[in-house]
Amino acid sequence: MLDLLPHILNGLTLGLLFALIALGFMLIVGLMEQINLAHGSLFALGAYFAMQLMGPRPPLPQDIASAWLALPLGWRYAAALIIAPMAAGAIGIAIEFCMRRTYGKDPLYGLLLTFGAAMVIEETIRLIWGTRDYVLQVPQAINGGVLFGDLIWSTYRFYAAGISAVIIGLVWLLIEKTPFGAIVKAGAHDSEIVRALGINLTRLRLLVFVFGTMLAAIAGIIVAPIWGIRPHMGVDAVIPAFLVIVLGGVGSFWGAVVAGLLVGLAVGLSGAYASEWSLLSMYVLLVAVVTFRARGLWGKKSVLEA
Amino acid sequence: MIATYQSDSARLITPTMMWLFLALATVPLWIARIGLYPYLGIEILIWSIYALAFNLVLGTAGLPSFGHGAYFGIGAYAFGLCQFNVVANLWVCLAAAFVIAGLAGALVALFISHRRGIYYAFMTIAFGQIFWTVAIKSHKVTGGEDGLLKIARLPADLGFASIDLAGNVSFYYFVLLVFGVAVIAMWRLVHSPYGRVIAAIKQSETRAAHLGYNVWLYKASIFTLSAAISGFAGGLFAMAQLAAFPDVMSLHQSGYVVMMTLVGGGLVSFWGPVVGVFLFLTARDVIGALTNAWMLYFGLLFMAVVLFRPEGVAGAVAAAWQNRSLYSMRRQGGSALRLLFGGGRWR
Amino acid sequence: MKQREISRRSVLQGSLMAAALAGTASYFGPWTENRVWGQGAKPIKLGLTCDASGQYGNSGQDDLRGIQMAIDEANAKGGVLGRKITWITADTETTPATGSRIAERFITREDCTILIGAVHSGVANAITQVAAKNGVIYLNTNSSAPSEAGENCSRIKFVWDGNGTNFSKASVRNAVSSIGKNWMLLTNDYVWGHTTSAATKTQVEASDGKIIDNLLVPQNTRDFTAYLLKIQQAKPDVVATAIGGDDIKALREQVTQLKLDGKPSWINNQQDWPDVWGAPNSLFGVFGTTWYHKLALPGVADFVKKWQAANKEGPIPVPGNVSYNGYMATRELLRAIERAGSTNNVKIIKELENLKVSATDRMQHFDAYMDPVTHQMQQTIYLARRNAKPSDSTDLYEIISWTEPKAVADTDAAAKCKLVPYEQIPTVDS
Repeated sequence: MLDLLPHILNGLTLGLLFALIALGFMLIVGLMEQINLAHGSLFALGAYFAMQLMGPRPPLPQDIASAWLALPLGWRYAAALIIAPMAAGAIGIAIEFCMRRTYGKDPLYGLLLTFGAAMVIEETIRLIWGTRDYVLQVPQAINGGVLFGDLIWSTYRFYAAGISAVIIGLVWLLIEKTPFGAIVKAGAHDSEIVRALGINLTRLRLLVFVFGTMLAAIAGIIVAPIWGIRPHMGVDAVIPAFLVIVLGGVGSFWGAVVAGLLVGLAVGLSGAYASEWSLLSMYVLLVAVVTFRARGLWGKKSVLEA
Repeated sequence: MIATYQSDSARLITPTMMWLFLALATVPLWIARIGLYPYLGIEILIWSIYALAFNLVLGTAGLPSFGHGAYFGIGAYAFGLCQFNVVANLWVCLAAAFVIAGLAGALVALFISHRRGIYYAFMTIAFGQIFWTVAIKSHKVTGGEDGLLKIARLPADLGFASIDLAGNVSFYYFVLLVFGVAVIAMWRLVHSPYGRVIAAIKQSETRAAHLGYNVWLYKASIFTLSAAISGFAGGLFAMAQLAAFPDVMSLHQSGYVVMMTLVGGGLVSFWGPVVGVFLFLTARDVIGALTNAWMLYFGLLFMAVVLFRPEGVAGAVAAAWQNRSLYSMRRQGGSALRLLFGGGRWR
Repeated sequence: MKQREISRRSVLQGSLMAAALAGTASYFGPWTENRVWGQGAKPIKLGLTCDASGQYGNSGQDDLRGIQMAIDEANAKGGVLGRKITWITADTETTPATGSRIAERFITREDCTILIGAVHSGVANAITQVAAKNGVIYLNTNSSAPSEAGENCSRIKFVWDGNGTNFSKASVRNAVSSIGKNWMLLTNDYVWGHTTSAATKTQVEASDGKIIDNLLVPQNTRDFTAYLLKIQQAKPDVVATAIGGDDIKALREQVTQLKLDGKPSWINNQQDWPDVWGAPNSLFGVFGTTWYHKLALPGVADFVKKWQAANKEGPIPVPGNVSYNGYMATRELLRAIERAGSTNNVKIIKELENLKVSATDRMQHFDAYMDPVTHQMQQTIYLARRNAKPSDSTDLYEIISWTEPKAVADTDAAAKCKLVPYEQIPTVDS
């Protein structure tokens, strides 16, 4: 049993990351009833943008670039954590503009459109950055190993899990405890009321979509030092994100968070017992749950299930 | 050529089919002259059978299956394993591919047929991923990521004569023959009373249930049948490649068949999947030889089709052919899409 | 009225598309015509099956650089048999299915009579199959699964890299006695990983060591946390890895980050230069290679200069073992064609089967020869570790031993390899 503890801890940290990856996806599904399959590509773009910003050749004019590179790594990392998601948000705006043609129609339009967008973004990444792997540098303070229960752990993993928990908490507060959140939720369920209140629905949707996009990009930056940066990372992220949402149930915030933790635990524990099969564990978990619960753990009625 | 007429639905072989088969029969005579090669023709025909089978689920029944590559792949493995472990007979092993993939499909159908919309879609993805992982991991059985190699193109034993299929041209004609049979079978299926019930379920699951049809059974059976035919195509694919690889089972490649079907116009036309497969594989070969970024262009085309021409290429051409307005065609495509997810009760 | 207009436009679009298709046809038309050579000898066309993406994308492109260099040298000397060498390449994506498709296309559409290039043994296998069906010679330049020269050998295939057995034989016995008996294996889950770890296991057990666990690592794994936890819990003396490409780069980064690179000891069966250069700060343990650009041997410095001149803007500043293998394989093939005086496949195969290359010509410590029974090049095997006193930024290795081919030969391979008789290969000539 004691041997198992490290793997449970590993699973829980992984679970928080899965929940973070699914966060932006969940907002767009829950508030707009749209499935954004480009979520993973935006996740990847966040990581690539951050890497480009922090790397040896930032996309800046010469003299600004050298001043920028003179800054300590920690500063550049913090800046990249803000700037890169904004850049990815700009791509999100473009996607949302295309998606407008699909509002009010079958949500499958949006799903297929974003599937195409995902392909286009992934191929564009290959064109710009090539197919090689990149490493995202992180500040010394959160790098290296830490001794914990006579095993050495990656410090970064704890940092990543901690920051995931903080971001999840902040997003929850924003949606549940602020007037902005109230309007967004109202807009999702009854656009008439929002219009009657004199709020521009088009702009509201854009805002939600871009917010979801930026969350995807932030998740990309947080996860990149663990998974590495490569073109395929988008697909590696969007499948678990989709899975976590379906497992947790459409429209349930805590359902998704719990589902993320469960998926992490499943991967972590199967990693301990049968590491070769650990890839499989999350799908088996999903089949087991959805076979008995039609809407995942705590899903609400949604147009997405007709 | 692609246009279909109402009266055709009663025929065994339609004029369109006749012309198509005749045209395809001449392919080996000229394909090398335009810089292509017979092997490409083989792949196009096999993928066409697979895409037509897939469209039974997506287009005819309106069920969003996104993990269909699993059954194509299972068929390929079944063909190879039958050849190595049971008997090296073409007919037996193709039947094995059909049956084994059908059984896998039936198993999955048990779990998913009472699910709808996004939950249905993701369950198909989850099962697809499970089959894919098992294929990769069962090194001793499937050869893992290296694939199951040394699969032979078995001769077609007709009792009185045995035809060697090792060459690409002879194999092309064999696949064409099979393609013809499969097309006729699926055409009849779609236009049979059974097919009409499936179409009714696509219109509205609830209404079909009220009319007394066992919706679950129809959903499960069409999925199983589609999986079986996909597996049959997979068996042919194993022969073409001389191997079975797990790649076709991945989510990516399952996505390709969705794209092919939609771009071609599978939602409004029986022939849509074939058009899509032709476009996709030819583009991969011709544009792929010039630039590695061909998927970028195909992705853009796909986005444009979803946004502006949901009826796909076949739909657009059929509209032009029949001199009908694109406007009404698009409306048809739109409603087909709207009905796609869960029996047409979207909003 | 309006609707008619739209419909006319769509007809126009249809005919535009037909025109576009016809355009492609005429574009590809003259290509076929080009195959008929009016004057001068027809070139010899090689198909280079090199990964440009996937796990071995970087190595595949380094392989390509070596192959191209050998071709350019031959063409500069007036070609082979007075004929120019031309080539075509496509990305095999580190995917067996793609390798198979591209081999099919190179042979049947591009009329290539020889294929060269491999890093991933699964891809190599898939290509071998298609090549064997057509009687086309295939050079496996860099895939080092022992099975390539054992159960998966082929009359038309020649293997140019040292394999997992060679490297294990060079490293394991010594490590068991000097470091410890408890070994743990980390194995990439495909044919090279499996066969290489099997070879390590044999050597460990033959030296009275013990394998306490063998962890299978799926290809494209990036997060090794679970494996590193298990290693720490099991406390082996030695961890022997058979992990390749971008995966080993990620593993090395994570091991270094956690400072696990000292204890346990690590033996990385083979490290390819592109993977080392991609993450030069996380090099640890003992590993095998077939060549190093700072070997103190005649000709090495010259070769490095020529390679650099040809690859000025490349991602890697100096040639490594992968580029070297690609170069050597191609150079020896072209020489064999010259010696055979023919492009007939069987004649070339016979020349290659009797190939002997002097140490000087190989730029290695010992003479090398092609094993006619397994079709694997028998060559010097080097062991290296991180260089504590590098002479420049590329001087990452300290070469700690070199072993002659006979001492590390895979003695079991011959029994597993069955080559078909010459008469059964379809004749190919260009």
